[in-house]
Amino acid sequence: MKYTFFQGCNIPIRIQQYATSTTAVFAKFAIELEVIPEFNCCGYPVRNVDEKAYILPSVRNLAIAEKRGLDILVICNCCFASLQKAKNVMGKNRQLMDELNTILAKEDLHYSGKAEVKHYLTVLYEEVGPEKIKAQRVNAFTGLNISVIHGCHVLRPREITHFDDSFVPRITEELLQTTGAKSLDWRGKLECCGAALAGINNDLSHKLLKEKIAGAQEAGADYITPICSYCHLQFDTTQKNIQTGAAEEKLLPVLLFPQLLGLCLGLDEQSLGIAKNSTITAEDIQRLNSLLGPPVEEKKKKKAKVAA
Amino acid sequence: MNFNILLGLSAVVCLVGLIIRLSIWFSQGMHPSDVPTVPAAKRVAEALKGVLGSLFSAKIFLIIKSVFVDLLFQKRVFDKNSLRWIAHTLIFFGFMLLLLMHAMHGVVTEHLFKGYQSTLNPYLFLRNLFGLMVLAGVAIAVYRRISLKPHRLRTYTSDWAALIFLGVIILSGMLLEGAKMSSHSKYQSMVDEYASLSNDEDGKALEAFWVQENGLIAANVQLPPAPELVAKGREINGDSCIECHVSNKNAFASSAMAKVTPMFFAVFGDSATLTLFWYLHIITCLAFLAWLPFSKMFHIFAAPVSLIVKCVTGDQLQEPANILTRQMLGLSACTHCGTCSLECSSNMFYESFHNDFILPSEKVQYLKKIAAGKENDPAVLKRMQQGLYVCTSCDRCTTVCPSGINLKELFVSSRYALLGQGMPETAMLSHFSFPLALAQNFVDDHLQALKKVTDIFKKSFQHLTDMALPITLGKATDIGNTSFRGCFSCQRCTNICPVVRSYDNPTEALGMLPHQIMFSLGIGNTELAMGAQMIWSCSTCYLCQEHCPNQVELCDIFYTLKNGALKKIEAGANS
Repeated sequence: MKYTFFQGCNIPIRIQQYATSTTAVFAKFAIELEVIPEFNCCGYPVRNVDEKAYILPSVRNLAIAEKRGLDILVICNCCFASLQKAKNVMGKNRQLMDELNTILAKEDLHYSGKAEVKHYLTVLYEEVGPEKIKAQRVNAFTGLNISVIHGCHVLRPREITHFDDSFVPRITEELLQTTGAKSLDWRGKLECCGAALAGINNDLSHKLLKEKIAGAQEAGADYITPICSYCHLQFDTTQKNIQTGAAEEKLLPVLLFPQLLGLCLGLDEQSLGIAKNSTITAEDIQRLNSLLGPPVEEKKKKKAKVAA
Repeated sequence: MNFNILLGLSAVVCLVGLIIRLSIWFSQGMHPSDVPTVPAAKRVAEALKGVLGSLFSAKIFLIIKSVFVDLLFQKRVFDKNSLRWIAHTLIFFGFMLLLLMHAMHGVVTEHLFKGYQSTLNPYLFLRNLFGLMVLAGVAIAVYRRISLKPHRLRTYTSDWAALIFLGVIILSGMLLEGAKMSSHSKYQSMVDEYASLSNDEDGKALEAFWVQENGLIAANVQLPPAPELVAKGREINGDSCIECHVSNKNAFASSAMAKVTPMFFAVFGDSATLTLFWYLHIITCLAFLAWLPFSKMFHIFAAPVSLIVKCVTGDQLQEPANILTRQMLGLSACTHCGTCSLECSSNMFYESFHNDFILPSEKVQYLKKIAAGKENDPAVLKRMQQGLYVCTSCDRCTTVCPSGINLKELFVSSRYALLGQGMPETAMLSHFSFPLALAQNFVDDHLQALKKVTDIFKKSFQHLTDMALPITLGKATDIGNTSFRGCFSCQRCTNICPVVRSYDNPTEALGMLPHQIMFSLGIGNTELAMGAQMIWSCSTCYLCQEHCPNQVELCDIFYTLKNGALKKIEAGANS
């Protein structure tokens, strides 16, 4: 199985560990991710300015994947939503499709809609599946509390993203369960990290971020696991930028899902780039490793219960 | 005119040019509000301090490595594009070897190799090989520039000029050598000087041999020459010539050229053609030398320095004086190869906005003018400002630049230097601002520039609080999305909005709440909806849209309103 790997603009320069850990995890399941240097920005940053300028780059990326004869696997939510939106708009607006194809023709590209866009969690869930993941584990966590923040643009609008149930997503929950970590029920799980307002309205952006940090900490999270690269940067970079230095202030460390899963699959923390998360300390990593142990078979558990 | 006078003149022009270009390194720079100008003397001193500090430390090993890896091998180009690497390597090595071995043979080759004669092998053969290398490299470069045009590779006249210069230098050299081969007067003068012929018969035989073997054109030799005459000539050639002159066939490119020289002989005559080609060759070479510092060819000085600075500092300069100097060094090291624009993640935005300055390579060309204070046209500056802002901060340009220019820093500084000049930039209200907020460069400049745009936004639209009540029904709204018609004001959107709940007095902070904006569109007042602060405070989380019981696409409508508001502001600014 092979996909073109869409990393967007932030990941290759600011969150390389998201790409390397995802590639390493997928390799464990014999799924190859091909990096395509020709991919450009998904268009998301310009959406406030011009909707057509927002659609065109994604159509080009889809055309590139189509030419390559592969589907696109995405790890950034905003890129994911942009690519899905472009597909949706192209499906509805034939005239615009022709117009954009004229632009693409200069580069010998053509969009016809053959390439599919898939979020990496969907691929892990549907094509690998929790059972196969469990079978491949060499370790699992016990006593690890995780606050997942899905990020808005993978869930909503559901007519565009087609990712799980936008009100009660369970793919992420089930995948997280395979690592043995506990996914906390907390109030920010489906909400906004504030990234979209950064640089436009910093006060509001920070307020939304702080609300999530406090929410996760109150719920007892050891780590926050952002699915979107923008959320990651909010928690891993902006969180540090806005620290006041007050004594009672506690940093909420970030751990990406492929890093978490990778540890259970026997990948080492260097190849998963865990130390590259700027909010994680050496002690955090040590403690994380101490929570890892051989996975407990659920069937045995059940039998034990019956016996008891 | 005397060759030495011509050489002296062009060398002086070249030297003056070099001094001008070097002085720019230490006198110009990009200055956002909190970056003061630094006197040139201090900049030279700081640069020297840095250079000496690196030379006399362990960093010297880095420099030596960089000379081999980055400069001679051109690893940055090799890693990216093998065709471009082949072209550059062919041109670079071909040209440098010709310069040292051929142009400067009196200074270099004669001292290195005993018994050097330009007409002996391997010199005769190598000269042609190096020439052909340059021509092949130029051909690849021309092909690249033409074939990549649809991929937004820009080529200026000056880019063609550089390639034409190289091509003409080599071709004129080959023509000159070819003409010498076929010229009878040249042959005669050499026979007079070197050959000791006992009689006329010997002379005829030698001539027949040179016609047959070395491409000489002689009117009094019948074609094809008699074999026995040629055989005799071969013997004489062995006695008189071969010691200093191997067969012209070794000069494979020039001997091919010799086939076209008779046409010139027919028009100008034999010796005049030689003079013509000599002048053509010499004048192009010297013109190239004089033109060099004023053109992108200055990169042969600036790019190596830029690459070594990158290797030594890792683009992490601290001293403000050196940051400015590095910017100007970078601008002068640009070869306009267009690699940055080909790889630019924002390059598709060019197709929508048709602003060349979105492409990094094009920004660099004009930033030179802006740094020199030579570009004051507000329309150009405004386009440059947009070009600088429509950037995803993916840093690909900086990663791929073959000259090692720190484009990222250059663009960040230039962006805030321009924004500080007073023109509002509507693109600031986009997610291009996200990585800028993350990096926290020029925070105050950013906020000041942002205020300029938000002030204009406030001025450009009517607000609910300013209006005389009651607001009556306007004409039907046409914003492309009609889902707002389904709104029955249940206020689910407003109640679930994380932004609304962030304020104690949301109506005051946001102008209008989400359901009010839908209602405003419903009664036909698009202006009012567009002017609501709410649309710029929307976190685009789509909760409202997802929870709407009647499928009103609020978040999408907000995007449409934002697009419309910015267009209106831009139209106002341009009118």
